[in-house]
Amino acid sequence: RRRKMPEDTDKDKLFQLVLELSNPDTREAALLELSKKREAFPDLAPILWHSFGTIATLLQEIVCIYPLLSPPTLTAHASNRVCNALALLQCVASHPETRTLFLKAHIPLFLYPFLNTISKTRPFEYLRLTSLGVIGALVKMDDSDVINFLLTTEIIPLCLRIMETGSELSKTVATFIVQKILLDEMGLGYICATAERFFAVSNVLSNMVLALTKEPSVRLLKHIIRCYLRLSDNARARDALRHCLPEQLRNPSFTVCLKDDNTTRRWLQQLLHNVQEELIGQGGVQMTPGPSA
Amino acid sequence: PGQPFAASGREDISQYVTINPSIAIFAAQPMLKQYAVVAISQAIHDIITPVVERSVTIACITTRELLLKDFAMETDEAKVRRAAHLMVQHLAGSLALVTCKSGVSMCNQLRTYLQRQQAGDQQAIEQAVQVTAADNLEFGCWLIEKSAIERAMRDIDTALDNAINLRRKQGPAAFESPIFGARPQPAFMKQLPESLMPKASGLGPSQLRVYDDFARDPRQAPTGPAGNAPATATPMGSEGKGAVEAKPAIDPAAGAAAVSVAQSLQQ
Repeated sequence: RRRKMPEDTDKDKLFQLVLELSNPDTREAALLELSKKREAFPDLAPILWHSFGTIATLLQEIVCIYPLLSPPTLTAHASNRVCNALALLQCVASHPETRTLFLKAHIPLFLYPFLNTISKTRPFEYLRLTSLGVIGALVKMDDSDVINFLLTTEIIPLCLRIMETGSELSKTVATFIVQKILLDEMGLGYICATAERFFAVSNVLSNMVLALTKEPSVRLLKHIIRCYLRLSDNARARDALRHCLPEQLRNPSFTVCLKDDNTTRRWLQQLLHNVQEELIGQGGVQMTPGPSA
Repeated sequence: PGQPFAASGREDISQYVTINPSIAIFAAQPMLKQYAVVAISQAIHDIITPVVERSVTIACITTRELLLKDFAMETDEAKVRRAAHLMVQHLAGSLALVTCKSGVSMCNQLRTYLQRQQAGDQQAIEQAVQVTAADNLEFGCWLIEKSAIERAMRDIDTALDNAINLRRKQGPAAFESPIFGARPQPAFMKQLPESLMPKASGLGPSQLRVYDDFARDPRQAPTGPAGNAPATATPMGSEGKGAVEAKPAIDPAAGAAAVSVAQSLQQ
């Protein structure tokens, strides 16, 4: 037998914590501990997935919060506990070995009721933020199966509402998710398929731009501009943007805000270029469908 | 079996709809009550089909996938079915309930009807609508939850039948082999310690407990901090260590997990 190495001790500790998740008496402390240390264990996701009953346990943690959503009675304590469980699911969502399994078992759908809440209290705000974080981890991987899953399960209306009413960080993550969906061919096609969908998205983006003139956030603005730039890749959306791109993006409202962000400034220039170019070429504004539509 | 309601039986629903006769509009025009019953029954009926459909579909997929994974080595069919039933009921019922509680509008049809009948002024109509909807919300949600649970029980059996039948067809010799053994085992499984693995020798009570816990009433919220205090020791720990030194379970920096999850996306 070889000598026990330090990494074996770490692994033993990890296995012990995972085992403690299955016992209701030790679960809460183990959730907290694992959630804090999740970055330190690269194998955590496959261990969570393949060990007996762990995912079922995490699912129980999620579902048992449902009765507290409406009427809204979620406490800080209950919110914190379920957020720790969600943090572990985020590991599973971002790990290449478990992402597909996680999706195939439709587990993200159990988070949608959380995204659907509207209470402005902190426990709910954190709950939505963490749930968005799990979806964000899924889309970060640029997997078209993920995009397809999210489109068919109608995540976009949920994201749009959070983009309108959430905290700055929630708005940023929700916009990031929409951006990632748009960057996918299928996602762009889906959002630009009907005027209703396009305007639902562009109205929310435009409202956010307006709000940012009062309370600037560089990271949020960056995602918004990237969304607009990507929309401008679609001919019909580009036509529509000539009318509905907010004035604040055309004038120097955000010059100071973007002073140190070269990438976003370039995106903005490209966006304005895309939107203006054909306007000059056509000599007028028209709502004609583009050739590729 | 023997349930008084079928999800499709509109007439059956209507006899359980409550209309408070002291609501001003109904007191003045009692004949409107029966139309209110129809409107509420219709609203519940319209909600049931899509909510049950969606909740049951999701619950069955999730249950099937997790069951096939966790019971991959289990040879006792009864254990598999039991765990599947407990889980799918809980998931389908909870999803149906949370969906109809958040999005159900039982008011619209009744409001439209009363407005068309010019049953009273705006305020009186709104009062009648709100009170009636509130009086019947519990019943509507109960019925939807119940329908989802019943449907889920049937559907999960169908979903598992293939896997179980396949196993039976392989004959008596195969009886020694796991029910879902056809699934390739990920190489990763070899790393797991015995205590965390689906066992070929059959799952024990401490493992099955996770699935037994799905039998708890889904309406029952988790207990508060006091009830959830970490135990002093865990009987399962091989090294006999306490439950993480009885650390306070509430993170002093509330929302730490939320913020760290969101920020990890920025990297």
